[in-house]
Amino acid sequence: MNLDRDFDVVGALKSVYSLVIILVLWEVVTQMGMIHYYFLPPLSDVLARFFELLANGELLENAYLTLKRAVVGLAIATVLGVVVGVLCARNAAVEWFFDPIIKIGYPVPIIALVPVFMLWFGINDTSKIIMVAVGTFWPIAVNARDSTRQVDKNLVWAAKMMGTSDWRLLRRVVLPAASPGIMTGLQIALPLSLIITFVFEMVAGGGGLGALEIEGVRSFQSTLTYAAIIAIMIVGLVLDRLLRVARARLLRWT
Amino acid sequence: MSNVNAGTATALPSGVRSAARFVFDWIPLAIVTLLWEFASGTAVPAEVLPAPSVVAGEIRELLVTGEVFSHLFISLFRISVGLGLSIAAGVLLGIGMARLDPVENFFEVLLALTYPIPKTALVPLAILWLGVGTRTAILIVFLACLLPIVMNAYNAASDVDQNLVWSAKMMGTEGRRLFWKVIIPATIPEILTGVRQAIPIAFIALVSAELIASNQGIGYLILTAGQVGNYPTMFANIVIISAVAYFAVRGFEIGRERGLVWT
Repeated sequence: MNLDRDFDVVGALKSVYSLVIILVLWEVVTQMGMIHYYFLPPLSDVLARFFELLANGELLENAYLTLKRAVVGLAIATVLGVVVGVLCARNAAVEWFFDPIIKIGYPVPIIALVPVFMLWFGINDTSKIIMVAVGTFWPIAVNARDSTRQVDKNLVWAAKMMGTSDWRLLRRVVLPAASPGIMTGLQIALPLSLIITFVFEMVAGGGGLGALEIEGVRSFQSTLTYAAIIAIMIVGLVLDRLLRVARARLLRWT
Repeated sequence: MSNVNAGTATALPSGVRSAARFVFDWIPLAIVTLLWEFASGTAVPAEVLPAPSVVAGEIRELLVTGEVFSHLFISLFRISVGLGLSIAAGVLLGIGMARLDPVENFFEVLLALTYPIPKTALVPLAILWLGVGTRTAILIVFLACLLPIVMNAYNAASDVDQNLVWSAKMMGTEGRRLFWKVIIPATIPEILTGVRQAIPIAFIALVSAELIASNQGIGYLILTAGQVGNYPTMFANIVIISAVAYFAVRGFEIGRERGLVWT
């Protein structure tokens, strides 16, 4: 069950039978009317709805809204988190100031702040983006700080001895050495960014895949909810893959 | 910054020194709190950002009147049941997948397909099946916590020292006894690591489920307090659930250190 490994075809065929069984069972049981349509519509109906929503652009439009909120928020958090994290590890005054704030901020179940952001910034895109940025800042900052702290002192001393300036030292020595840890922080932050976006969309509306899902529940169209979940699964898989590829590229030298 | 008080520190007893150190370390937080206190009602309207003193008063009020406890107990019940179920199922599944090929072949593809879905995105589905309330919250906590526990149990059970297993088998330990007496004790430290990772996830899942689909619990209190414009109560409940989450993790870590004496 190594989730890091690339897809291997033979192994996939050997282990994919359970999925086939479940999908076939889903279709057969629902076609026979053994489960109420509202709880579990037949797979074929769900897929039909999925492709219908894909064709009329509704899925793409909502996926775009969700992705925009999650990715822009995550990008802001990455910049701020890496800056604060690296400075925390390299500068005693910054460390003194931010350490207790991180200690208090990191354990907060950030999702509880959704109503606060609704109060402060409303329910528009900006509010959602700021919420994602604030929520994903903590794991990124903590991982950037801890991995920068663990950078081999000998590397830094050697570079300093050869007269490397502070800025070059940071760019050429410290950041590359800390980048595996920074990527780990990003991998923790990515699902969190999606969680925050979906929950915000479900609570406050304003479009997006989360809002689409909850609309399906409210209007008794469960095919809509299931189709939206398929889209969410695809978005999650693609983002996760992209981050793994980026990690492999960036950290090729390790 | 250690040399700031190094000069005086040598002359002082260690108790005073560590107390001074503690105060010094937490000054930034005091600064932020004071700024917040002064900003509230001056730079920003007091209802948008209630002062810490107001929120603290509200927390005291909630605790003294006991208003919060019925909701807090419901939240704690949901999170304990959800996490408990996911520990039981996750450990069995993780060890089963590591030790038995058919189990691995069956579940691998299902886990690989579902792990990139943020489990809170399944709240609407849970509403479809279980309605609004406790069962939905438990299901979401269970699903959200399952993967970290399965992964840690799986990795640990795959790495159990084969010599241990062989010597136990040689002495006639088989099947269920082998499982309980050899595999489980050898994997417990990593299972606990999985549980440690799962606790914060459980709180996020719980609050999400309560925000979207509940009429009880702390998440519900936060949302409704915000909707009716009772902002001090909203902030007070956020502080309460954050404190509970923090102490759940700390309590677990302390318990683990005490309990795992043999490692």
